Amino acid sequence: MAMVSTTRSTVFSALIASAAMLLPSAKSAYADAAPEKAIVGMKYLNYHDSQSGDTAQTAGMSRDRMNVNALSFMGMVPIAGKWSVAATFIEDSITGASPAYHSSGFPSSNAKHDASSGASGELRYAGDLTVTRYFSRGTLGLGTSYSQESDYISRGISLNGTLSTEDKNTTVSLGTAYNSDTISLDKPAVVASKQQDAPGRKKVYSGLVGVTRVLSKNDVVQLNFTYTHGHGYYSDPYKAPDVRPGHRNIFTVMTRWNHHFEAPDGTARLSYRYYSDTFGVRAHTFGAEYVQPLSKGWELTPMVRFHSQSAADFYVPVGAAELADPSTPTPPPVGALHYSEDQRLSAFGAFSYGMKVSKDLGHSWLVDVKYEHYQQRYDWCINGHGDPGVANFNIRDIQLGISRKF
Amino acid sequence: MKKSHILSWASPLVLMAMLSLSGCSSVQPWEKQNLAKPEMTFEGDRLDTSYTEHIYSSKEGASGGYGVGGGGCGCN
Repeated sequence: MAMVSTTRSTVFSALIASAAMLLPSAKSAYADAAPEKAIVGMKYLNYHDSQSGDTAQTAGMSRDRMNVNALSFMGMVPIAGKWSVAATFIEDSITGASPAYHSSGFPSSNAKHDASSGASGELRYAGDLTVTRYFSRGTLGLGTSYSQESDYISRGISLNGTLSTEDKNTTVSLGTAYNSDTISLDKPAVVASKQQDAPGRKKVYSGLVGVTRVLSKNDVVQLNFTYTHGHGYYSDPYKAPDVRPGHRNIFTVMTRWNHHFEAPDGTARLSYRYYSDTFGVRAHTFGAEYVQPLSKGWELTPMVRFHSQSAADFYVPVGAAELADPSTPTPPPVGALHYSEDQRLSAFGAFSYGMKVSKDLGHSWLVDVKYEHYQQRYDWCINGHGDPGVANFNIRDIQLGISRKF
Repeated sequence: MKKSHILSWASPLVLMAMLSLSGCSSVQPWEKQNLAKPEMTFEGDRLDTSYTEHIYSSKEGASGGYGVGGGGCGCN
């Protein structure tokens, strides 16, 4: 193909040219009509995670970590055929503990202290509200969000729009968002070196450009690019050793493809995300699920997901001293400005599988239950070198939901 | 961000996707009954997605990509 060049500059030029070719034909894959019915829903989440040490280096590290019980509500109301107002609210309760470094450094079992959020029995409240205006060939939505924990407050606003072509076969999406976060650093559980009266602050700006395209009567694809620039307090107040850069820029490419199979009346939903940030993390995330309606209102949705990430540039792997005595963290490199021993910034692969079962009860009532199991392992990483000193990490979560349309 | 790294990984994917997306589509309105099914949209179950993405983003070093907006969290 003539546009494909061996030089990166030419490839980049081709990208720009392709985007320019695409924009004039920007259209929406789905009719952007205002919803006809209101909907309310409620969902309960029960979450449990643990770590397991099944190698010579992590033997003896198996233990439970966190438990979360959450309840969320959502509602959406159409107004005058041209507007909708949607809102969600969530309350979650967290107990347990997570490690201060790698897979170690837990508080004493008597304290029941959550090292990742600063308190035992931590509560979080979060809500968002979106007002959307529907036009003949597009939408414009203004959103706001608020989240509060005892040691963390996040406030956000967003503006998202879509523009469709006349045949509704292509939609271009544009979005922007701003978040302002406040991190309390005066809690007793904050590590001593990070204690201060003044809170940490973080400001995050995000932008999105996307295209959704109908390829056939059974295929629709989506391509989204997002770019995020954030600056402020990125270190974890409860982890040590942990000093992170004061800014983080993130670039993602998300591709999704939904395909409907006529004979079984089922739908395959495939996705791939590429992630890159200035911490040095690169990640590939693949998702697949299949929605199969059955008789009498039943529906089954099995799913699988695989995620692989490289380590952050400043991640410090488990050293010999820590291996010998897990109660002592690995010292960061001499002279290093930034360092972290957070397992989430190490290289690993994660595989999850699950199943969702839903039942249409009639009279616009729908109930569903979902189970998912997730595991992270250092040796499942496909784009980096995992840290064999980190224990495997496991999640089990169950969701129960009910909703009704009016 | 290392621009060269982004280009090396993302360029072929993006280029292929854009070229396919810019192709002609001739699906007519009366052929869209399957496309109109809820499972063919990209939105999905809003509360399910909210829980699931929150779990992934709080336990992995990468997050986002689906959209912009929504609140931050002290868990990541």
